[in-house]
Amino acid sequence: MKIKYLAVTLGLLASTLSHANADRLVIKGSDTLGAKLVPQLAEQFKAQHPGTTFDIAAEGSTTGIAAIIDGTAEIGMSSRRAKTSEVGTAAAKGKHMKPTIVAFDGIAVIVNSGSPIKSLTKKQVEQIFTGDVTDWSAVGGSGGKISVYTRNTSSGTYSDFKELAMKKRDYAGGSQKMAGNEQIAAEVGKNPNGVGYVGMAYTKAGGVKAMPIDGAVPSTKSVQAHTYPYWRPTFYYTNGDPSGLAKDFVDFTVGPGGQRIVAQVGFVPIK
Amino acid sequence: MKKLTLAAAALCVALGGTVARAQDSGALLDLLVKKRLITDQEAEEVRTELVKESTSTAAGKWKLSTPITEIELYGDARLRYEYRGGRLPDNYKFGQDNTNDWYERHRERYRLRVGLRGTLADDWFFGLRLETSANSRSTNVTFGGESSGGPFAKGDDGIFVGQAYFGYTGLPDFKFTGGRMPNPLINTSMVWDDDINPEGLAEQWKHTFTFNLGGGGGEAVQSYSKGGYSKEGKGVVAAQAAEPFKLKLDVFANFAQFVYDDENPENPIGPNPTTTANGSTQKIPTSDAFMLAWQVGARLTFPNSVYVQLAPTLYNYTGNGDTFNVHFQGDPGGNQTGINSLLVFDMPAEIGWKLWDLPMRVFGDFAVNFEADDRAAAAGHAGSGGSRYAYEIGLGVGQLKAKNDWEVRAWWQHSEQFSLDPNLVDSDIFDSRVNIQGVAVKAGYMLADAISLNLTYSYGWRTNGNFGTGGIGDLPINPVDQYQLFQADMSVRF
Repeated sequence: MKIKYLAVTLGLLASTLSHANADRLVIKGSDTLGAKLVPQLAEQFKAQHPGTTFDIAAEGSTTGIAAIIDGTAEIGMSSRRAKTSEVGTAAAKGKHMKPTIVAFDGIAVIVNSGSPIKSLTKKQVEQIFTGDVTDWSAVGGSGGKISVYTRNTSSGTYSDFKELAMKKRDYAGGSQKMAGNEQIAAEVGKNPNGVGYVGMAYTKAGGVKAMPIDGAVPSTKSVQAHTYPYWRPTFYYTNGDPSGLAKDFVDFTVGPGGQRIVAQVGFVPIK
Repeated sequence: MKKLTLAAAALCVALGGTVARAQDSGALLDLLVKKRLITDQEAEEVRTELVKESTSTAAGKWKLSTPITEIELYGDARLRYEYRGGRLPDNYKFGQDNTNDWYERHRERYRLRVGLRGTLADDWFFGLRLETSANSRSTNVTFGGESSGGPFAKGDDGIFVGQAYFGYTGLPDFKFTGGRMPNPLINTSMVWDDDINPEGLAEQWKHTFTFNLGGGGGEAVQSYSKGGYSKEGKGVVAAQAAEPFKLKLDVFANFAQFVYDDENPENPIGPNPTTTANGSTQKIPTSDAFMLAWQVGARLTFPNSVYVQLAPTLYNYTGNGDTFNVHFQGDPGGNQTGINSLLVFDMPAEIGWKLWDLPMRVFGDFAVNFEADDRAAAAGHAGSGGSRYAYEIGLGVGQLKAKNDWEVRAWWQHSEQFSLDPNLVDSDIFDSRVNIQGVAVKAGYMLADAISLNLTYSYGWRTNGNFGTGGIGDLPINPVDQYQLFQADMSVRF
């Protein structure tokens, strides 16, 4: 009798724990996605799925992909593609990195709104961020030592920008590494000689303006048409095809409701 | 899904399979997206799949650091049989009498050279080569050469850094190199053993002029090349791809500052040392030795592969180091390696043409030491400064580039006792010696694109019987009154 009672108790406990895990979604990764977009998506999703809880950690794309490899998250947010080494490591551990494009983004080059610079070329951007050019007068400005602000090395935007804009060269030795887009926008907004890059969602921050690059303005249209040179897809990575709550959230993100939020936050919808 | 499968299949076919091509697929996927044949999402899935597959291949597991834009693994392995013999003179004036007595060696040897060279971002380049043998003029290891360790011992089977250099080609026409490098100077084996990789700095410049001579007078067209590393290890900056022209003039200048020998210390405690190695007391200099070279030349190429090349060069030495700081004598028992009083003008030259598609060339070299009088006097042979010349002239037919190619070269070589630096001259043809003259013949045949057979024979005798044969060779005799060499090589080049 006692054994029967214990079995029922354990069964109820297991059922309770199972139910609790099923309604909790762990998402890790990109600050670009995790600072604004995904929390707002989560709020909307929770409104439609009462009882669902989210554990969101936005510490850079590298951490999101690592979390999928390590099995510590159901969804890894990434503003860059998984590297060859990461895909290889995942495969070695029996994981399959499945990318899902959740939004497009344009990496905007921002300067202080008081700067006389009106546009830049791709070559000038490369020169500025690699340190080949250190004074604004060399790129049409009125002079002053250029202060370069970049993301930190765990950021997907950090490596994406190197690939998209700098021919994979190293950043200028004196560049200052910031934790997130908001910090870069804030610093450039305060510094008349500042220059940095942020996701398009952050170009409306006070005191900054986004530079047209080779005449192309970072906009929804130019990014969707892939004519803005620094466009990029942003991803959810999952271990194979998502299932359960993760699948529901991925479907919600790429569906009409999610894409409306994508646009509201300042990213570019995938269609 | 069908579209996705088709896209993946198309990519595999177009890219020759997924092996190591995943990174190359981006442009094609982007094009498929642009043409609306697949969606961005489908492109990402294909891209990830290709990357995943590539990581499971051997090529996919290699990772190169980002600054490397091109890299090449290369090298060669060689098996050699060698006979080398030297005869002491009859009625030897230095106190021996060895009538027709030959010192002879038969050796079976191997060598291995493996290198990496490539280009880096922003017009930099680099090279690294590992070689068997620590000898600057040889990469050979003699089978069974160890005196201890039992049969098949590994005592002399070492790996050494033969080349380690990097450089910059960012300025039009210029190439700058620093480190332990392939010889940047155009030269012949009469002056430089081709195994030597000098250490120091080199600056090279080359400019190509092309002249269209047809009708209306000559028209010069200038062009330049941004040569990276030289795959053939040649001394000049890589040539520009040929444009249609009637006449091409390559003008080049190669300058080098080689660290010949380091002195340690430059300033010893107490008085500077002296030596009596050459009989009288001689103060030993205490300064680093540098070898400086200035080479300015040109190669004029006519239609039908006819060319003329001249590369006049001046070599000078400053300081003496701590290994070469005793005056050269060259006679038995005296110093053989001193670099005092060497100011050598050298003029390698070559004229080439094709005869029924068969490459032929006449090549030669002429060298004179302007300070031979002082070098002879310091050697105890005052008044013998006339022994200052070295020269060679030869004929080459054929080339060794691909399977079934063949080549024969034959030349006459003459060197005098005070003409050249004996530490640099070829170690095989006349056993690293000066004051020897004779003939040499090399013949080669390509068994396959990567496999060659080569035979070398040389026969020489003392140029001036009043002197030893200066230099330290493999034969422990001096003077070498007569010399013979035979080598049979089989080489694999990759």
